[in-house]
Amino acid sequence: MAILSTDALTLKFGGLTAVNGVSLAVHRGEIFSIIGPNGAGKTSLFNAVSGVYTPTSGAILIEDMNSCRRISAALIFGLMASGLLTAFGFLLIFHIAALWHAVITARFVFRQSFDWLGALEAIGHYAREQPLQTLIFPMLLGATTGTLGALSVWRGSRRSPEVCASFGLSRTFQNVRLFPQLSATENILIGMHRRLSSNFWSSLLHLPGMKRQEKTSKAKAHELLAFVELEESAERAAGSLPYGYQRRLEIARALASDPKVLLLDEPAAGMNPTESVQLMQLITRIKERGITVVLIEHDMKVVMGISDRIAVLDYGNLIAEGTPAEVRCNPLVIEAYLGTGAHSE
Amino acid sequence: MLLPRLLKPLHKRVGTLGLVLLAALLPPIAELLIPQVNFTGRLQPILIFAILGFGLNVVTGSCGLLNLGVAAFMAIGAYTYGILTVSVYPFQLGFWGGTLASLITGALAGFLLGLPTLRLRGDYLAIVTLGFGEIVQDVLRNLEGITKGSQGLNPLPHLSILGMELGSSHPKLSYLALLAFVAALALILKNLERSPVGRAWTAVRDDELAASCMGVPVVKTKLLAFAFGASLCSLAGALWASFLGSTGEPGNYDFQLSVVALCIVIVGGRGSIPGVILGAFIMVGFNSILLVELSELLGKSGFSGTQNVFASPSNWKFFVLGLALIVMMRVRPKGFLPQQTGRE
Repeated sequence: MAILSTDALTLKFGGLTAVNGVSLAVHRGEIFSIIGPNGAGKTSLFNAVSGVYTPTSGAILIEDMNSCRRISAALIFGLMASGLLTAFGFLLIFHIAALWHAVITARFVFRQSFDWLGALEAIGHYAREQPLQTLIFPMLLGATTGTLGALSVWRGSRRSPEVCASFGLSRTFQNVRLFPQLSATENILIGMHRRLSSNFWSSLLHLPGMKRQEKTSKAKAHELLAFVELEESAERAAGSLPYGYQRRLEIARALASDPKVLLLDEPAAGMNPTESVQLMQLITRIKERGITVVLIEHDMKVVMGISDRIAVLDYGNLIAEGTPAEVRCNPLVIEAYLGTGAHSE
Repeated sequence: MLLPRLLKPLHKRVGTLGLVLLAALLPPIAELLIPQVNFTGRLQPILIFAILGFGLNVVTGSCGLLNLGVAAFMAIGAYTYGILTVSVYPFQLGFWGGTLASLITGALAGFLLGLPTLRLRGDYLAIVTLGFGEIVQDVLRNLEGITKGSQGLNPLPHLSILGMELGSSHPKLSYLALLAFVAALALILKNLERSPVGRAWTAVRDDELAASCMGVPVVKTKLLAFAFGASLCSLAGALWASFLGSTGEPGNYDFQLSVVALCIVIVGGRGSIPGVILGAFIMVGFNSILLVELSELLGKSGFSGTQNVFASPSNWKFFVLGLALIVMMRVRPKGFLPQQTGRE
């Protein structure tokens, strides 16, 4: 069963087609690489899959399910609540000055007690006196604004990166995007954020439940740091770490959310041969944890060394897909990307 | 810079409690040294503006959203406090009821403003908050039937504890009460900084895209910062109104006030809690102590501000503030007490 698949995925920026009808299927537990020349649409594909871009057409399926927020009872309730609240808000704005006068100013005598029940009656009386259209029009306008506004917000966030993360996708970036001001541990804790309860009041008052949670999640973070061999840098600000460390920290942060699929965008970029060998070992160990890895990479040693299957993109089109041996011999791939030298390697 | 070099070891040696005690003893000591100046009264605005700075610091410093409409939230707090406590309206909740209500309306106003606008990117949000600041002033001015227009709502109850009004009769106690407010808020904010919520704020500030790819609910996180910040600004407004005994006119809560709040945060160091307090001391101290005293001194020695506008130091206020900001950005762009990041 495919854990992640795209179905005729197309992504256009104005007149430029970055990804053109690509259908891929990544199987559970494999290391799947995407290669291709610069500008072939590899990172665009990644961005579409991880929710950064909204695809122009086509679908992205995770475990054969469309990875979108579904229409739910909560949505309908939210739309109705938003419409109703805005309707009453508009009504109040329209009438506030006159209502205040009728209910408070006209009825309150300085230094005397105020009849609160009478105030409620006065509101009812005021409402009955108003021409019907001054009540209905603001409410209609408010209800439309509130419902449509909430609907458009929901549509815009149907397939946001957060939603994709909640479906079990996690990723790293081509140019490392850590939180430079946070320590290495805190970066990993952000990766876990989705699974932690972040109740405002317990955070505000440092309630015991939160302290306990912080303790266990920090222990887990240290485990992950040990997994990528960064335990000595746990308390250092991420921005002050050397480049190779930052790359590994980013992978650890992506792992922290317990993903089903890990998307790595050029993890070996800027690494020396020793470091890329270490990276290959790291990726293999990630696979051993039962996590599916999708990889964009230019370093052919890494790609050919660890991939189970490879897809090749060129000008947004999928030109080949198969095992490393198959791809290496594919004449289309040799012409577009590998060059003739790779054949004998 | 001399100041942080002096302050940091001081903080290490005496601890937070020591600093609070030191601040509590500041006015009597200062008055002993310079008996001509009423420090107890003059230092209270500093503490209130420190709370305003806290509010802006949560939004701009911690979460990275530029808010240019802080004065509007302060106005909302001040007028909520005014309407709910003034004797011409039937509510008359007293100091604590009014303050609590202003915290809630502030949070609500921040939430409602943030709901449709927090999806905007950086600069656009700043423009929206700028517009919001102007709108709130106009609304307050036009709702004359409720806000009493340029008269303002007064008299309002002063700060009181257990039924004892501290306002004008016990200025020293009222100073201590405000100091307790600031200290409690500083503690709460410190807690937040080292919690999942504060961490998410920093993550969104540092890299919004990466944060959302890690599953941090960006809009919800921002909304929380916005509402919480607005609620603190609103609290500052309520305290300000109770300190003055009046809401003042709507025009007092103008863009200049927002800029002063922004200066407090920038001078102190974005995201840093002690920085905000220091920033308030520098900005408001300069404004309400140094300039006023200087004016009086100059007046006594024969320069009169009425004859020559340049002779009055108060008229140089914004020139000096602007210059100080430019110098600041050149010399110490992270503020006097920058936020500390991971231990080296």
